[in-house]
Amino acid sequence: MAGIKALVGLSFSGAIGLTFLLLGCALEQYGVYWPLFVLIFYVLSPIPTFIARRLSDDTDSSSNACRELAYFLTTGIVVSAFGLPIILARKSAIAWGACGLVMTGNAVIFLTILGFFVVFGGGDDFSWEQW
Amino acid sequence: MSGFLDGIRCGDCECNVDWGERRNTIASIAAGVLFFTGWWIIIDAAVIYPEEENFHHAYHTCGVIATVAFLMINAVSNGQVRGDSYSEGCMGQTGARVWLFIGFMLAFGSLIASMWILFGGFVVPQKHVVYPGIAIFFQNAFIFFGGLVFKFGRTEDLWQ
Repeated sequence: MAGIKALVGLSFSGAIGLTFLLLGCALEQYGVYWPLFVLIFYVLSPIPTFIARRLSDDTDSSSNACRELAYFLTTGIVVSAFGLPIILARKSAIAWGACGLVMTGNAVIFLTILGFFVVFGGGDDFSWEQW
Repeated sequence: MSGFLDGIRCGDCECNVDWGERRNTIASIAAGVLFFTGWWIIIDAAVIYPEEENFHHAYHTCGVIATVAFLMINAVSNGQVRGDSYSEGCMGQTGARVWLFIGFMLAFGSLIASMWILFGGFVVPQKHVVYPGIAIFFQNAFIFFGGLVFKFGRTEDLWQ
């Protein structure tokens, strides 16, 4: 177990990220809840990496096409989570201030997810018994 | 309380990063950024200008063909084209070469088509709104370069 402190730190940053997202929706001057659609991207983003790790039994550091495809798709999901608020703001469905708050929340959440992978997911003995 | 900052060590990062191994990861991420940025550009243009006279809907075909070309180019590995992979695959070495040839032709074709759309459909008729044409061009350019980076930015040398 990599440490309770890391877990608590990551959950704190996750809460901060979600706070930014909800501030972008719920503040009085904004009031619309369209930005909550980026939650779909938050949920989808770890899935390609999980699938790639499950499918490839060899953890050697050589080139692994499945893992690279997973990185490609994950990057796409992250880009989409940033693109959606920008398009909503350009179409004036949300205010630009809300867009800024949502993008800040995105950055924090994705760094949190990355932190989870770095702290808990790495290593040769990544096994599903951890769950 | 005293000395509580003594435990902090700056620059003591344990990331033993071997940049040779990371090349594939960086190429995959860069290709992902390029490809999906291209698609979000066209989504933006389609959302801002939904009317047919500003953005003729048939122009979307260009980006779709570019995506098909991206998938075709990256479906075959360089090893199969060279003929030195273990399995022959569906069609063998010649089939892989034909597939890659068609894929690159579609990719170049969609890039040329996007330029044609921009100039022939928007600049020359001097349309009021040129942004959809620019968006189509940038979408296809990004998808094309994303495909190139994903294909050639990664190395298949298993042993350095």
